[in-house]
Order: sequence, then C-alpha cells, then structure tokens
Amino acid sequence: MAPQKLVVIGTGMASGRLLEHLFEIAPGAYEVTLFNAEPRGCYNRIMLSPVLSGEKSFQEIVTHDEAWYEDHGVTCRFGERVTAVDRDRKVVVGEKGEVAYDKLVIATGSAPFIIPVPGKDLKGVVAYRDLEDTNAMIEAAGNPGSRAVVIGGGLLGLEAAAGLRLRGMEVTVLHLMGHLMERQLDASAGHLLKQDLERRGIEVMLQASTQEITGTGKVEAVKLADGTELKADIVVMAVGIRPETTVAKAAGLEVGRGMVVNAQMESVSDPDIYGLGECVEFDGAVFGLVAPLYDQAKVLAKTLAGEADAFTVRQLSTKLKVTGCDLFSAGDFNDGEGRQDIVFRDPARGVYKRLVIENDRLIGAVFYGDTADSNWFFGLIQTGEDISANRDTLIFGPAYQGGASVDPLAAVAALPDEAEICGCNGVCKGQIVTAIENGASDLAAVRAVTKASGSCGTCTGLVEQVLAVTLGDEFSMPAEQPMCGCTDLTHEDVRRLIKGQELKSMPAVWQAGAWKTPDGCHSCRPALNFYLLADWPVEYKDDPQSRFINERKHANIQKDGTFSVMPRMWGGITTPDELRAIADAADKYKVPTVKVTGGQRIDLLGIKGEDLPAIWADLNAAGMVSGHAYSKGLRTVKTCVGTDHCRFGTQDSTGLGIKLEKALWGSWTPHKVKLAVSGCPRNCAEATCKDVGVICVDSGYQIGVGGAAGMDLKETERLADAKTEEEAIELAIAFIQLYRENARYLDRPYKWLGKVGLPWVKARVVDDLAERRRLVDAFLLSQTIYQKDPWAEHVREQAERYAPIADITLEAAE
Amino acid sequence: MTNIEWLDLGLLSDIPFRGARKVKTPQGCVAVFRTADDAVFAVSDSCPHKAGPLSEGIVHGNKVTCPLHNWVFSLETGEAQGADDGQIPTYPTRVEDDRVFLDVTLLRRRDVA
Amino acid sequence: MDTAVDTLVRPFIDVSEIWVPEGDRLAHAGGNYGDLSEFGSISEQITFGKGEGLPGRAWAQGRPVVLKQFDGSNFCRTEAATAAGLSAAVAIPVFNNAKLMAVLVVLCSDSEERVGAVEVWEEHDGLLMLQDGYYGAAKHFEWVSQHTHFPRGQGLPGGVWASNTPILMRDLGSGYKFIRADSAGKAGLTTGLGIPIPVPGNRTYVLTLLSALGTPIAHRFEIWDCRPSAVGSDHAAVLIDGICAREGPLWSEDNERRIKAWEGQVGKVLGSGLPVVAKGLAGSARYGGFVGLPIYHDGSVARIVAWYC
Repeated sequence: MAPQKLVVIGTGMASGRLLEHLFEIAPGAYEVTLFNAEPRGCYNRIMLSPVLSGEKSFQEIVTHDEAWYEDHGVTCRFGERVTAVDRDRKVVVGEKGEVAYDKLVIATGSAPFIIPVPGKDLKGVVAYRDLEDTNAMIEAAGNPGSRAVVIGGGLLGLEAAAGLRLRGMEVTVLHLMGHLMERQLDASAGHLLKQDLERRGIEVMLQASTQEITGTGKVEAVKLADGTELKADIVVMAVGIRPETTVAKAAGLEVGRGMVVNAQMESVSDPDIYGLGECVEFDGAVFGLVAPLYDQAKVLAKTLAGEADAFTVRQLSTKLKVTGCDLFSAGDFNDGEGRQDIVFRDPARGVYKRLVIENDRLIGAVFYGDTADSNWFFGLIQTGEDISANRDTLIFGPAYQGGASVDPLAAVAALPDEAEICGCNGVCKGQIVTAIENGASDLAAVRAVTKASGSCGTCTGLVEQVLAVTLGDEFSMPAEQPMCGCTDLTHEDVRRLIKGQELKSMPAVWQAGAWKTPDGCHSCRPALNFYLLADWPVEYKDDPQSRFINERKHANIQKDGTFSVMPRMWGGITTPDELRAIADAADKYKVPTVKVTGGQRIDLLGIKGEDLPAIWADLNAAGMVSGHAYSKGLRTVKTCVGTDHCRFGTQDSTGLGIKLEKALWGSWTPHKVKLAVSGCPRNCAEATCKDVGVICVDSGYQIGVGGAAGMDLKETERLADAKTEEEAIELAIAFIQLYRENARYLDRPYKWLGKVGLPWVKARVVDDLAERRRLVDAFLLSQTIYQKDPWAEHVREQAERYAPIADITLEAAE
Repeated sequence: MTNIEWLDLGLLSDIPFRGARKVKTPQGCVAVFRTADDAVFAVSDSCPHKAGPLSEGIVHGNKVTCPLHNWVFSLETGEAQGADDGQIPTYPTRVEDDRVFLDVTLLRRRDVA
Repeated sequence: MDTAVDTLVRPFIDVSEIWVPEGDRLAHAGGNYGDLSEFGSISEQITFGKGEGLPGRAWAQGRPVVLKQFDGSNFCRTEAATAAGLSAAVAIPVFNNAKLMAVLVVLCSDSEERVGAVEVWEEHDGLLMLQDGYYGAAKHFEWVSQHTHFPRGQGLPGGVWASNTPILMRDLGSGYKFIRADSAGKAGLTTGLGIPIPVPGNRTYVLTLLSALGTPIAHRFEIWDCRPSAVGSDHAAVLIDGICAREGPLWSEDNERRIKAWEGQVGKVLGSGLPVVAKGLAGSARYGGFVGLPIYHDGSVARIVAWYC
C-alpha cells in the first residue's frame, strides 16, 4: 500500500514524540511533512531553563536534528507559517505553497498570556516560551548590573528568575497571589521556596499587582498598584499560557478553550484532522505539563497506525528545575471535607512534607527539601491503593514500611555521645547525659547547667528524650500544655523560637516549630500574629486575617452582630464640640444605646457593620480617633481632676494621664491594658486595680503594676517611685514593653507577673537603666509603625471591604 | 430544567486572602471566602448557634471559626466540626480568569418552598 | 581504543593525588602521575604532618590552598616537581564536619599554550572574592578574575554558593553570557565545574575548574547526588548532570543513571567516603584517568563530582 500523506503543524515536544512512536510502530505508513513557524526542528522546551542559566547548551536539548528528519523521510518546512487549511480540498496552505494531506495533525502548542497593562508592547518585554525569548533574556543579562523583573511566580517564572540570577542580573519576581507556585504548592512549601530564592539573591514580592510598564522606546520600569516602582532592563511575563488555536479556528474546527478532540485525539469536527499537545481541549481540560502530552502522542501514533487506544487524564506531578532546590508536588492537596493531612517538618534540615489522605487513599503530596521517595508516593497516588495499614509511618517513606518500628526514644538511645542535640549552643548528647548523671533531673535543670534548648528551643523534645533515656522511669515528662493542637511547643517555647531564630513570618514559625497543620488554627494564629509584630515591628507585616473580628473591624461585635463605636477621649477629658459630634453621629446612624463606660468614655452601641466607615469618618472629621475599646492593646487612661480643681490634688494627674495615653495609644499588647492616674492617695481614679496605676503624692509618683478588677480582684504591687513625670512615663512604657516582649498571649499583666515575679521585672525595668532605655526605645520604634488611627486608615483604604461585594436583594425586589 | 445563573462578584483579589466578603441576598447574607490556596467557597453568613457573622471569622485550611463562640465549620460541606452539631447552607462558586462567580439561582428566590 | 581526540590533547592537569590522615600524618593513598612516574614514586614514599607541605597546609588551615611558586614555599617536593616540569599545585581538603577525610592535590605544568583555570573563591562580607587561582597561559582572564566578585546566586561561584550544589556550566565563552564571558571566550574556556568545598567553621569556599577545548581539564564531567533526601535509604547515587566529549550530554529526563555504593569508581567514592584517583580506566568512557571527589554535608557524602581525563 502506498504511504499516506501526513502533515504535522508544529514541532513541539508532543509532535516529536508522535513521530518517534509512529515511525516505530508503523514504519513506511506515512510520508510526513512537518511545518514549524520557528526556524528549527524539535527541541526539549522544558529544558530551556537550564539553557537560560548556562547549565545546558542548546545543542544538548535538541531532540531531533536534520539527520534524523532526513533518515525518516520527513519533509521539513521550518520557518514557514501555515496560513490556512482547506478541508474541502484537503490541503494545508503554507507561506511558500500548498501541501496535500490525507491526515493532518495540528500541534500548534500554546501562546503566552500577556497581561493587558500599558507598556506590554515595549521593547524588552518578553514572554518565556522559545529559544528566541531565551536568547533575548541571555542578551539582556550580558550587561553588568542589569535588572530583570519577572512577572509571575509560577514554575516558568521562577525558573527564569533563577536563570537570570545565575547570569548575573538583579532579579525581582512579582507574584499576584499570597504564595509562590500556588497551583502546585501550599503556603508552607511556598514559603520555603521563597526563602530559598531569597538566599540566591532573588527578591520576591507577593500579592504584587502590576499596573504599568513604563519606558520610552524600551522598558525602563514596572509600576505596581501600590505605587512601588521597580527599575527594569528586561521584563519577563510568565503569568501563564493559553492554547494557540489560530490555525484550528481558521480551519473551521470546533474550538473551546482549545481545539476540541476525542480520546483518540481526533477533532470532533473532522475525522481526518487530529489535535495534539497544548493546543487541544479534551473533556473540558487543557494541558500544560509534559507528561499528558507524551501520553497524547502515544495515543495519536496508535490511532494513526490503526490501533486502538484512548487518552485519559492522569494525576500530574511537578518538579522545579532550579539547581539545588528540591521540591515535588502531585495530586490534589487542597483541604477538604473528609480529607486528612499528615504533616512532617524537620526544621533543622529545612524539610516540609505533607500528605493528603481521603478515604484511606493518598490523593496528594507536597514535599520540600526531601524528595527522595516522591516517585513512591506518586505511585501511591496514581494507583489509589488503600494505605490504612501503614498510615502511621507512611510519611517516612518506603524504607519504614513493613513492620520496622520507629520509636523516637530508640533513635535517641542509639545516638553517639558526640551527637549534637542543641545546635544553637553546641551541646552534644554526652554533655547532657553527664549533667543528668550529676543531678540535673528535669528540663529546667539541664537547661541551666548545659544551656541545651535554652535558645531557640526546637530541641526541647530531644532533650526530654535524652532525659527519659537516661533516667528511665525516674523522669516524668513535664505537663506543660502546648500552644494548641497544631504544635508541641508551649507559648513560651514559641516566643523563644521567634526571638532566637529571628523568625519574621508566620510560615517561618510554622516550619521552625514543626507545626502539624498547614496554616495553623483560630487559636494559634492570633497569638503568633501578636508575637511576630511585638518582636519584629519593622520586618513583620500585621496580618488582619489572623486577628479576632474586633481587632480586624476596629469595633466590638455585639451579640446580635452589630458593633459598638467608642472614640478616644484623652485622659477622660472631652469638649462640647466633641460631645455635639458624638450626639450628631448617634442621631444620624440611629444608635439605639449611648453609654458612659467605666473607663470614662462614651460608647455608641448597635451600629451596623456597613455603617462603620461612615460613622468613623464623621467622628474623624470632628477630630476624634478610635478609642481601641476592642483591642488587646492600650485601652484607656482614667484620671481624676488633680491639682487643677481638686483641693486634695498633689500633682497634675489629668495632664499625666493625657501624656501617658498619647504615648501608649495604638500599641498592641498580649491582652488589654488599662491605666489610671489618681491625683492623691484618696485614689478617685481607682488606680490600684489597674494594669498600671499611678498615685500622685507630694514627693512624686508611685507606680503600681499588676492590678485586676475582673474575674480576679487584685491590688497593684509597687514597681517603683518616680520623682518626675518623665520618669513615671518612662517606667510605665518600659514595663509595658517588657510585658509585650515576654508575656503569653491573652495573659493580663497580673497573670504574667505571677509567673515571672515582680523582682524579675524590677531588675529589668527599674534597676538596669540600659535595659530600661532599650525597652523604651523598642516601644517607641514599634509605635512609629502601629500608632496610627485605624479608623482613618480603614476609611481611606478599605472602606469598600465593609460593604457587601454584591447585593441582589434590590434587583430581586423589582 | 433550570438555568444556572452565575453572578460575577469581581476579582479574586477583592476578597482578602484568608478572609471573606458578604453578598446580600433575599435569603440573607452569603459569605464568600478565599482560602490560603486561593480556593473560593460560599456559605451562609449566619452561624446556626447564635447567628454570628461567619464572614468575620478566622479562616484556617478550608474551615472557618465563628467569631462569637468558636464554632468551626467546613466551608466545603457547611458541616459543624468537632463536638458541635450544625449545618450551614453552601452555594456553588467558580473562579475563571481570576474573577469570582457565585451561583445565585436559588438565592434570588424570595421564598423557598 | 583511544580516539585521536585524546592523544592529541594534553590535559591541563598533569598529576592528581590523594592524601589521607593516618594517625597525625597524611599518607599517600593513590595518584595518577601520567608520564611523570619518577615524581610519582618519590611522592608515594613521603608523609606530611599537619601544616607540613601543601597537603598539610590545607589540613591545618582548613581550606583549599593554591600554590603557584614552589621555590620559597613550604612545598616539600620542589626539586622532583621542577624536574618533572610541574610548576603549580592546588590542594583541596575533604572535610566531614570538622574531621579531615583526605586531601586531593592537583598539579599543573607551566606552559605558554595550556589554558584553563583552577580557582578558589572565598567569602568576604557577603561576596565571593578570588582567594587565588592557577590559570596557565590565560593571563588576562586571571586579571579579570582577580577583579571580579560574586554576590549570592550570581555567576558560577555565586550559584554554587547559593545552592550549595555543584554546578556544571556549558559554553562559558561563546554564545553564553557567563559573567566573565568576554574574557573567558578570548581565553577559549568552554566548560565550568563549580564545587562547594565545606570546611570547619563558618567560612565559605567554592572551587571552580574551567576547561578549555584545546587543553581540557577533563573530557568528561559528572555530578552525582547521593543525599538520602534525593535517593532514599539506599546507599546510592544518581547522576544529575554531566557532559562527555564522546557521549555528549549524560543527563536524561527519562532514564536516570543510578549506581550503588562500590559500583565502579564513583561507587568507590560513595562507599569509602574518600576521593578516588584512578588511571587507565576500563569503564564506561574508556578515558585514561579518573578523579572522584566526595562533598560532605550533615555528616555524610551528599554529592560526588567526577572528572575523566
């Protein structure tokens, strides 16, 4: 039988594979003509990244050279565009003439998605699809000190960034989403990847929205929606791809997102035309990774050879081609009903592993830093076999399957004496054992003698295990409660960890603290948010989504879902104008209840959530700011009238109260903090039951701390006596900062004092003047960031977030 | 046969990361959530316990914790988690080209039989 | 049978030898001396104490050492080396945490024709600076290198530093914009192998071998990954990159090359945890000489680089 005429349009990796299979299973069956708009044959496109970085040469990634095409009698029409397909006459029209076909394969691949921003057509803006793009990037990297901005933190964008960095460029990656590679990775793995890239000198900006690319003649800068401007000599757009269907559409074939084919890769509109690769749509899906394209090539070769086969969509896995960066993801790893996570983190090795299990089957996996058994796990995902029998040890991989028990104590017992237990302080097992043999019988004693686990605290569990191994049943594990179910660490451990390892983001804490959940829970997230912003006010960015509603809405939610609004009245002093503005607002927003509070403020209760920005704006306009009546922070400073009006007053208590409130307002604390200043020991401001209470006396100021008048009733203890107002303010600030740095979240100062003891606090706040100075400076630094009126900020920047995103009640009523 | 009506709610980025926005409907408010994985879910905004506004809760994984009394709900099934017993309605959503769509077919109706 | 390529081209490195600690001295543990058998037989008989000679200096100072002038140095074999025409040497210590496992020494002879580079980069204040290097006749490139520094992630040394992984770069001087490409191209340098050299303490060292087509450092380069996090609990290694004058690219996306400990020369490096120098290979590529260097991390061999001359 005479060979049939086969025309293939496109020389991507799929069509290369197709021809290989076809010539193997049906040699001589077809005479092939191959069109490619690029002036070259088939090369391994997914290896362009190492070519960009210089770790491969282009010759190495050519999969079919001229000789191969010649050997197989392929007529190559490279560098020639196909302009039309005439299905009636069964000819393909190229720029240089027609070719008749019996069978036609359209494998036109994909086109990069270019985000429609001004400046996208400037010279120097490139996509990342082919050798031309790659060479353009290499060219740009040739100038010393040149800068690249990569838009898109997906697979391609990051490979481009790493390659350009290795080429010597200053590289910034802009990613619209909250973490890198969000389609393939969860937030924790995305965080580790970001850290890894930053170690390579690549800057990564998340939730960065590109607004405009600027430049005259060629690209010069990228402008972001938040106003940031980044200089750039080249801009790489790697935000995604879409099927290239121009030829298929022009031929009148059915095209949805891609050219629609059946499981034999046959166009649903024409039985002599086939689709292959990234340009096709099958069963509603389009394809971007290489594995399904190879499957398609195999199926199509069989179809063309007259053999039966059908394409099915398989689970996919992803690896990132950045040298030294080990990550793997496969399957479905989103949280879901009935799905369970097994999370394993090894902070010391930078390892994160997460398995997602549903109905006793492994359905997804994300690994970072240790990808050894990824193929084994990927196999489990694909076969869907029941893993219930070895579920407990599953995450340790195949080596631990089949009975070998993993008893952590046995592992610790087997450690040699020189094995390092505490990396921070360089303490090895032998030293700890010696300390225990010399009488240190609990964690605190070992910590005191050897310093082991005294810094970052990650080895606390190990030290306890050494204690258990050494002491046997004489050792009882401490009953200290972990922070929450997400971690074994206590609040104190976590605070030590954040300081010791300089952890400055939540994913960093989750990783270092070996969190067992992907992103914490409602119990640990608000605590972590506070610890991070208290310890790293400059570096850490407050996360409103990790705050309780009151702090996020800057208003107290009431039991019926309405809110209360309370403007600040410095030291309890107000004016007729302020009172008028409050009354007007109460009228305007139909406030059902107006209440004078115990802290000398006026509270407006019963306000609807969507009215909040408007009432705030009105109160702002009258010169008032948020009273923070809702926050774990400075609430109020209550005062008596002092020397101004009172015949007993010894000092200006109102003035000091106002000064204190002006210094402290806006600061976040582990729990709420209330102050009072009384002008004489008669104590009309009730200063002796406040967190910090000042009593004015003839000789100066008595500073008391740790009072309580809630569920517990407690009188303040005397911290110190101050001679001057300045000293009184300094002592109050230093005390509050020490509390901010050390207390457990949701412990009021009196509870914290009960744990650390007043002498410990006095030693730092009163006696050690350098430490007092440091505390005050740290507080003031934090205030430069956090002392701002949240009302004004929310009115200005996110008023629309308070309104519904849509309202269909109105239309429906019509 | 009914036609599904998808309402375009706007950009995914209009919903805060690990947060929610409300949609007012004749059936009461619906909370549209965006999780850490950029998955989008729509559920009733009202907690069956004491009607707490779920759109104001802390989002962790595909779950939300009610701001009033810490009831935890699956955003996928609407079921209360743990010891609490309860169920909130869920509504189909989809995300296309970074725009969020909500199926409002059932929500348009004033009264459900 | 050797092809013409191998007989025509004289390699840039003439001698490679291994020294391992025995008690408090370094003893000879193998070498490839090519035609310089006399220098070889002298070397086999000596040992070095800590601080003595070039290998002892690398041990004592805990870092790679470049020696470009034997006269006046503490090099012990100056006379024999000079007689053999050798004029420069680089000692590369292999440390497992703080423990010295071995010292690999390579020696080159001075020549007006031979071009290549063996460089040692050292971190200072967040930048990699050239500590020293031997360049043969590539004098301009030597000057450029002395005046170049690399931040994290940039160029071959910076890339090795940032990823803590050996990296093999291609076509250094031609179409590719290797940071020092212009000068490298003029010098005829084509392939670059960058290797992290772990040493005790917090210092960072990167060794680079830059090979020219005419006088190559090697005809074949390989990088093997043997971390448990890459190969699992098997004592094995997988080839992650490589290039060979005869076989072309050695990497493959589909068929991973994998060896177990003690399988072949690379397996011997993995099994023993020591560098291996071998002569007259019967193995896969039939080259005349083999050097395999283990790179330790976290107490075990993490990667192996190998080159064949």
